[in-house]
Amino acid sequence: MKVGFPHMGDVWLPMVTILRGVGVEPVVPPPYTKKTLSLGVRYSPEGVCIPFKLTLGSMIESLDLGAEGIIMAAGPGLCRFGYYAKIQERILNEQGYHFDMLTTELFEGKFIGVSRFIKRVSGGAPTTKVFGAVRLGLKKMDALDNIERVVHKVRPVEAVQATATKIFDEAKHALDEAPNAKSVDLVRADFVRRLAAVERNPQADPLKVGVIGEFYVVLEPFSNMDVEIELGKLGCEVHRTTFISEWTKFSLFLSILGMTEKGKLHQAAMPYLKRDVGGDGWETVGEVAYHAGHFDGLVHLAPFTCMPEIVAKNIIPSMKEQIPLLTIICDEQMGRAGMLTRLEAFVDLLRRRRDAQRKSGGLVRTAAR
Amino acid sequence: MTKVGIPRALLYYQYLPMWRTFFETLGAEVVISPETNRSLVASGASRVVSDTCLPVKVFCGHVLDLADKCDYVFVPAIASLHMRTHNCSKFLGLPDIARAVVPEAKVLDVDINTPQGQRELYRSIYSLGRHFTWNPLKIKAASEAAWQAHKSYLSGMVEGGLAPPNVLDGQPHADGAASWATIAVIGHPYVIYDDFINLRLIGRLREAGVKVMTPEMVPHSDLAAGVVRLLGHPYWTYEDEVTGAGAHYLETGVDGIISVTPFGCGPDSLMQDVVRRNAREPYHKPYMSLVIDEHTAEAGLVTRLEAFLDMIQRRRQLAASPGSSGRARP
Repeated sequence: MKVGFPHMGDVWLPMVTILRGVGVEPVVPPPYTKKTLSLGVRYSPEGVCIPFKLTLGSMIESLDLGAEGIIMAAGPGLCRFGYYAKIQERILNEQGYHFDMLTTELFEGKFIGVSRFIKRVSGGAPTTKVFGAVRLGLKKMDALDNIERVVHKVRPVEAVQATATKIFDEAKHALDEAPNAKSVDLVRADFVRRLAAVERNPQADPLKVGVIGEFYVVLEPFSNMDVEIELGKLGCEVHRTTFISEWTKFSLFLSILGMTEKGKLHQAAMPYLKRDVGGDGWETVGEVAYHAGHFDGLVHLAPFTCMPEIVAKNIIPSMKEQIPLLTIICDEQMGRAGMLTRLEAFVDLLRRRRDAQRKSGGLVRTAAR
Repeated sequence: MTKVGIPRALLYYQYLPMWRTFFETLGAEVVISPETNRSLVASGASRVVSDTCLPVKVFCGHVLDLADKCDYVFVPAIASLHMRTHNCSKFLGLPDIARAVVPEAKVLDVDINTPQGQRELYRSIYSLGRHFTWNPLKIKAASEAAWQAHKSYLSGMVEGGLAPPNVLDGQPHADGAASWATIAVIGHPYVIYDDFINLRLIGRLREAGVKVMTPEMVPHSDLAAGVVRLLGHPYWTYEDEVTGAGAHYLETGVDGIISVTPFGCGPDSLMQDVVRRNAREPYHKPYMSLVIDEHTAEAGLVTRLEAFLDMIQRRRQLAASPGSSGRARP
């Protein structure tokens, strides 16, 4: 069976590795384009959030490439994301696509559950093979995320713009081709070295900017219009806590031991938001409280009508931790020029604020958010 | 006497008798905010971020109104009422939102998450009751009385074909004997029964000689069966009143369905869509979706309502005329 899946950031990398490892032919849909988005928008309910529209468009593109099954996450305990697969299946059936919707409940069964799911998809591959494939897939994701962390540091200081981004793209291909765990380690070491050797701009004085918000729009550069690359160009060192490898590590393994991936953030959010509100609302509030002291600013990404992020947005202004924060709402109406203008203005503000702080040798209170 | 304020918004329509009984049995005085009006909405909307949905804006307006009238404002956080269902984030974080945007109100919250088990439930109820008495037996008695009040409230609506405003505010049961069509209005109670939010939708339908059916007139078991029919398993805590009611009224012989959704409602964006798709195929039932927010204008609503009723009338005439298949053109 040929199996496709919708894109989310670089999740295709482990996905392809796992599927190939168990003898399933993966169908990788083309990267997101305007066409994907308009396909998704055309068939989606009007009021649904951008991840639904993008993933639906991506599913259509992989079905057009001959996929007979689509892998999609589902299950309760999230926001409306858990409801996506059912509706998307119905929409696609109405459009004349007939396929297997292979849904996996993200939080159930942990590592064993995912392995069992992969086994089902592969039509009964031997368990050792499944384990091996899942492990290699996760290792690649981990390596890529490690490289990305370095890329975030290099982007604002590189002498020639887009060097780090180019190297990062090469790293994705190199990791995709790596056949085993050992070669993944070699690729990781090689690319980290290459990034370290990138020529620097001696005048660069990067600002520290955290990127926080909803999981999907943070991880999918198309949906946030490459906000991290743009921040890099503007001389900001991007810090983010949301990485797929971090998330899988905790939700598949460590949560069994009662560790949550973002325990510290939840603790920080407690005075303002005492409960998990689904999605990433709790984490967003937590990150504002947690990072207020040591970042220059935060960029908050949220899909339009995202319920958890609206809860967070309502709570953030009343918090006693003060940090400049720019909320960018992502949807299909978003324009690049408008986003860039706001980003430039925000970075200008951060720079001036930092200069003032340095001059006065201490903290400067933000007058208004 | 301790005064507890209950905002006339969101879950008020579902649970007021239960909450009122609980607080009154514990010796508190219950204060209910006035009916939603323009200044309430404006004051609520001024406190929250602009993309918050209308019902939450309205809710914050009510909390603000109660803030200086009582000692506590009751804002529960209802997470889940069944295994493997989940509520909208705004309900989960409602006390936290209320605290953040209306700092002048003293919020009394309680966490309800029944899948965690009865022990947890009693513990939350006890911690709520502790604000009024130290005596656990009194709290237990109050919660039992509250539960009875809730049950008789629900069965009263189902048996009498009544909507919450008839029961809660003693509004007369307005359905005249002569109605030429039956229309189901589906949506969350805080949308379809708040006459300010929906611009008196139900009243307008009744004035047009239409019998109005709402989700509360259907026994819970039928609603749950409807959800299973359309979806297999409910996903949202308040899935019944939308998908369940939609499924129920698609099967039973109503002439049309009107769904009312606040702009930007997350759960509804998908739930109402399920009903809409089923209304088209396989049920071929007239279906109109009204999306409302604080900018909704009366004239636009009236025009759409008239057009919808005209269409239903023509469909009926077509069905009554001999030789027709009984179905309007698809």
